[in-house]
Amino acid sequence: MLSIKNLHASVEDKQILNGINLEIKAGEVHAIMGPNGSGKSTLSQVLAGNEAFNVTKGDVTLNGNNLLELATEKRAREGVFLAFQYPVEIPGVSNLQFLRTSVNAMRKHQGKDDMNAAEFMKLAKEISKQVDLDPAFLKRGVNEGFSGGEKKRNEIMQALLLQPKLTILDETDSGLDIDALKVVADGVNALRAPDRSILMITHYQRLLDYIVPDYVHVLAEGKIIKSGGSELALELEAKGYGWLGIKDAAVAVASH
Amino acid sequence: MKSASTISNAFLQPAGQALPATLLTLRSDRAHALTNLIMPTRRTENWKYSAKRLKLTDDMASGLPLKASAGSAVDISGYTVVMVNGVVRPELSNYPALDGLSIQRFSDLNSEDAALAAEQLSKSISDQPAKAGSVNLSQLNGARFEDGLLIQLTSGTVIDQPLFVVHHTTASHIGSAYPCILVAAGNNSQLTLVEDYVSSGECSVMVNTTTEFSLGDEANVTSIRLNTEGQTVQHMGTTGVRQQRCSRFESHSVGFGGILRRHDLHVRLEGEGAECKLNGVVVTQGTQHYDNHTTIEHVAANCNSEESYRNIAADKSHAVFNGRIHIHQDAQKSNANMSNKNLLLTNGAEIDTKPELEIYADDVKCAHGATIGQLDEKSIFYLVSRGLSRHDANVLLTMAFINELVEQIPIELVRETANIGLNQFFDQVFQEL
Repeated sequence: MLSIKNLHASVEDKQILNGINLEIKAGEVHAIMGPNGSGKSTLSQVLAGNEAFNVTKGDVTLNGNNLLELATEKRAREGVFLAFQYPVEIPGVSNLQFLRTSVNAMRKHQGKDDMNAAEFMKLAKEISKQVDLDPAFLKRGVNEGFSGGEKKRNEIMQALLLQPKLTILDETDSGLDIDALKVVADGVNALRAPDRSILMITHYQRLLDYIVPDYVHVLAEGKIIKSGGSELALELEAKGYGWLGIKDAAVAVASH
Repeated sequence: MKSASTISNAFLQPAGQALPATLLTLRSDRAHALTNLIMPTRRTENWKYSAKRLKLTDDMASGLPLKASAGSAVDISGYTVVMVNGVVRPELSNYPALDGLSIQRFSDLNSEDAALAAEQLSKSISDQPAKAGSVNLSQLNGARFEDGLLIQLTSGTVIDQPLFVVHHTTASHIGSAYPCILVAAGNNSQLTLVEDYVSSGECSVMVNTTTEFSLGDEANVTSIRLNTEGQTVQHMGTTGVRQQRCSRFESHSVGFGGILRRHDLHVRLEGEGAECKLNGVVVTQGTQHYDNHTTIEHVAANCNSEESYRNIAADKSHAVFNGRIHIHQDAQKSNANMSNKNLLLTNGAEIDTKPELEIYADDVKCAHGATIGQLDEKSIFYLVSRGLSRHDANVLLTMAFINELVEQIPIELVRETANIGLNQFFDQVFQEL
């Protein structure tokens, strides 16, 4: 599905990713953990095609196609979905209008006709219930005035609507209380399928209790320094990042 | 240094048209008052950004040969009055005789109504000179109008449908047109007036309009102004509003740029408890120009005003907003809110905004805000990461900037027309990649 080879990337001349290698096969769920500043979010932004980040070396392919050559919207249409850590508020654009335009852009790419307004409304209402969002929010501006938890659920709702091949979750668990975390995890688990893959980026092990990954990787200073099964997450939770010879910036700050 | 230019004598000799004597007298007095006044230049504050685009012409458009089809393309289900090049065309108009409503062209006025029209025109509130010794261009209409409409509503008259006044400009030669509309809305009456300014062909007529509203106690008037005239039409419009006790005036305007577009809107809240709401949307592209000047005078106490104008400028175009709120000494408990938001789509575009507050009362709430920005890259990335094309993302975000105001326009037909124009604007400004 996704193949990352020796990926280097920088932002504003600051080198962040220093040679990432990662293979994700269809049907697999991978988790990337690591301390603050290790490059987790950069990796997700680079995969989604944010032009603020420069890829300086390396290759990324999705099902054999060179992902790095594609513009963001084309990657999305090929099935890459990034659930944002900080979803953007867009007042004046209704959720409904945004979601329908998005779904129809995908359908057009797949050679399908537009979904009509009534059909779409029905689908959107069903999925909003699945992530425990009041359908009334569909009429509001995109993420406008949403709480942190509502924004994250809206991200998952979009993933459920678009049915991506590769879903990247960037700290989707941050800022969620335990009930919202369960709702989000249920949504993500509903996306698991033999022909789909999921890449979860998280700081804490908590989310992995609900979405059990096939593989866990530890990212530090822009490189994957250790990989293992889901038990690696538990080990990190118990021991912190210190035993791997890296400092957790958050812990370091907290202990001062 | 070039010597200051003044208005030519030929310009101040208005053409005929059969008008009642009182209006002819008023017109020649107005023309006389303009003699020797100098034309505004870029040093004239009120015309700082627009003066250089101005070209006056002596010829009247009404005297130019007309195409037979002029004004007949109007397809509006509702009450309509059609004017062509400043002159009312009864044969193209369509409105029933309604109780309490009188719509008359100036040339048909009896002496009593003519006196009333002259009275309303003589109290026109946009009469202040742009600067001592210089012409206020809104006064040109008073000096040159050839025809006009007097719309009167008796007390308590409620008109169930909007009245459209379609002003069609068409000419193969340079000329000028001076439509004039007077609305006298009696106590408790209600009216929605749509002024639709259109033109056909590569017409380079100068259109100089006057619209004067007088609202009696508790009258409720909505004014909608749509301008889709061609690129080469110079348009200068003035709207004056006087409001008595507890009356409500609402104004919605949507303007597309041209070689010169200027609208002055002046509202006087003269009776206690009166309120007004002024919304305006402007989009410009290419080398277009659009200049909105508004003044709200809180004369009486306990009045509310709410104003929201948004400009979007692309390419090398230029949009201007000058909003003035003047709170008189006796206007205690005034509540005034003015907002002007601007969106620049390119580096070459220019928007100038100037909110002005003049407050002489001590117990008022008065807020104003002006912003200028660009489309947000983070929002664009968010939208395209969901598969939307750049074009669709740009259109959604730009439309979002003005949609709130467009949606408030109470007439569906106007919203549709505005949206057609806006979509054309987006297609021209955001080329599909």
